[in-house]
Amino acid sequence: MEKMVNIRINGRQVRARSGQTVLEAAKAAGIDIPSLCNHPALTPHGACRVCLVEIERQRTLQPACTFPVAEGMRIETESPKVVEERKFVLQMLFSERNHYCMFCEMSGDCELQALAYRYGLDHWTYQNPYPKIPVDGTRKYFIMDHNRCILCRRCIRACGELAANHTLGVKFRGAKTMISADMDVPFGESSCVACGTCLQVCPTGALVDRKSAYMGRQTQVERTKSVCMFCSVGCGIEIITRAGRVIRVEGEWEEHNKGVLCVAGRFEPVYTARERIMSPLIRKNGETKQATWDDALDLMAERIKNTKPDRIGAWTTCKTLNLTMSEFVAVFRGKVGARVGVLEPTLSDLELPAGGSLNDLLASDCILVIGADPLSTHRVLGYHIKRARMKGAELILVSNNHNEMARFADRRFSRDELDKAIRIGQAASSPVVVYGEGTNKKEAEKLGGLKRKAHFIPLFPATNGYHAKVLGLQSGLNTDGMDIVYLLTEDIAVPEDVVRQVREVPFLVVHASTAGPLTEAADVVLPGLLWSESEGSLYNLEGKKVPVRKAVPIPEGLIPENEVLTELAARL
Amino acid sequence: MAKVKVATDWLAACAGCEMSLLDMDERLVELLEKIELTSTPITDLKHPPKEGVTVGILTGTVNNTANIEVVKQMRERCKLLIALGDCAVFGGIMTMRNFFDLNMALKRAYVETESTVEGIIPGSEEIAKPVQAQPVNQVVKVDFYVPGCPPSADTIYHVLKELVEGRIPVLTGDYLKYD
Repeated sequence: MEKMVNIRINGRQVRARSGQTVLEAAKAAGIDIPSLCNHPALTPHGACRVCLVEIERQRTLQPACTFPVAEGMRIETESPKVVEERKFVLQMLFSERNHYCMFCEMSGDCELQALAYRYGLDHWTYQNPYPKIPVDGTRKYFIMDHNRCILCRRCIRACGELAANHTLGVKFRGAKTMISADMDVPFGESSCVACGTCLQVCPTGALVDRKSAYMGRQTQVERTKSVCMFCSVGCGIEIITRAGRVIRVEGEWEEHNKGVLCVAGRFEPVYTARERIMSPLIRKNGETKQATWDDALDLMAERIKNTKPDRIGAWTTCKTLNLTMSEFVAVFRGKVGARVGVLEPTLSDLELPAGGSLNDLLASDCILVIGADPLSTHRVLGYHIKRARMKGAELILVSNNHNEMARFADRRFSRDELDKAIRIGQAASSPVVVYGEGTNKKEAEKLGGLKRKAHFIPLFPATNGYHAKVLGLQSGLNTDGMDIVYLLTEDIAVPEDVVRQVREVPFLVVHASTAGPLTEAADVVLPGLLWSESEGSLYNLEGKKVPVRKAVPIPEGLIPENEVLTELAARL
Repeated sequence: MAKVKVATDWLAACAGCEMSLLDMDERLVELLEKIELTSTPITDLKHPPKEGVTVGILTGTVNNTANIEVVKQMRERCKLLIALGDCAVFGGIMTMRNFFDLNMALKRAYVETESTVEGIIPGSEEIAKPVQAQPVNQVVKVDFYVPGCPPSADTIYHVLKELVEGRIPVLTGDYLKYD
């Protein structure tokens, strides 16, 4: 059982857990101590001195964020002395660089500004010396304006502790201190992986998102909790929207990714400029023409009814939500009797367990990565592997090819040497096996030897691969002898060999949200929704069912994929 | 009871603070029953009267030698000096030029502007010389600060009403804003 201590905060008796900091104990008791450099997801640092409090028998004021509680401790958080010192700290922070709020992007949401308001700073005691400080705009998605930086080092800690990337640090000393990347190179040329975790934790306007800058403050935007749909990790996200448009994506702190996202989840979806399909299309005399839903679905139903079931095939990407995928199976396997499958591998033939979590990785002492390259396909998981390494876990990589993880591998084996890797795993106390589509059946059999000891994390090549596996869907397209093929591709970029194969099919229906070579080859095109318009659920990496929520309205004339399938079934 | 005399003047400013003052609408009429606006940049009389006023209000940044004169005159002629708006309080947007060499800034403004044809930097002995852009309290003592870009009409009304009623205004909540 945890040891408890009795302390007094502002005269109030508070019971705190031994080992808690004064700030944590106060927060748990509902007492607000202001802080700037402190962030719940990061280790306390004590850089800004805003949380200074008076502690009995301490010679000077102490930072609440780093000071541990002890039995009998008496703390004053808003005494005249504390308030005076706190105002002084704020004056010093404002005096150092350019903190003119009126043209700052963060004005209104800035934590420094909020504190200045709270402590009634109506002017500056120490006039700004107008130092010439650069702005670094070398990164694609966000800007570092050193002028707004208060050197709280949240970004540095986020980079190191959460993304395990260690790009950021400081150079120089005292007032000349600057946040810097690697060995002092422009951020855009550094080892930065643009995960944006630093951007999310920055308390001021020092890190500015290019896309959402000046697009609206916290009170003007809406936040929708959802799930990132770009890989099977299924990170929790918050979609920030204004007037029906997505302006930014942030990592959800309460979900298994604990705020961390990668460039593919945080930035790329907001920047996509691919052409949307906004209405059903039917090919007539070689040209596709706009059509009504009724015409398109009637035509499909007509063709399906007049074709033998064994000459009909239907494939979906694993990116579809649970309900859509189930409806897909119910309609095409259940009602039509067609051959159904998914486009991406589901790893089900490997017969290996799933369900290992990011927390299992962090608690592991030995991580085996085989047939996968998490740092390029499932990046947030890759960051967690690197985090585990920081805590002492050994990373064993089994791969014959180029692998982003290779630089961080403690031991690397070729695929012939799998036995050696497994032996190391067997000797570990809490091993985790991360396996991907590059694993073959024989290797899987060998890995099966670790089943009793290890947690297994499958890296499905597509978002909802877990559900496809549960539904027992076959992977791989085979259009031999098919007269009708229905493809549900959402917004994925379909590989060229798929396009080549389905071009030969006499009647091709493509259900997709963006235009591409596939929709150009189709006889009927059904428009689908984008990630931000979809509502339903999917399975994340841990096999947990997580809700996907609609953040922006569905464009007029579009219908969710599962409803389209239900409509089709009604006509059969 | 005699009306409280109030004078306002501006330095390098955009007139946003004056707009905010006018934005008090009918409350301005109510205030004028208690105060006398002796001079403002937007009325006929521009300078605070020699015999002095109780409250002096300055908006804008101290930007040149003429501004310094205005500031000093106001300080001499008022009992309580209020710096109104971000420019007068913090230096404001004008201080952005402090991050550059003064000659560079003048050249950019008078010669290199996209719409300028054959521009010259004004150099007459008779006109004021630019100085480092700075808030009012770098030149004279300021008694009360009202930040905001501009301060809202509500804030200005609150400040003047409190002063007229003999209280020191307290800026909290929506009254204290930097933008």
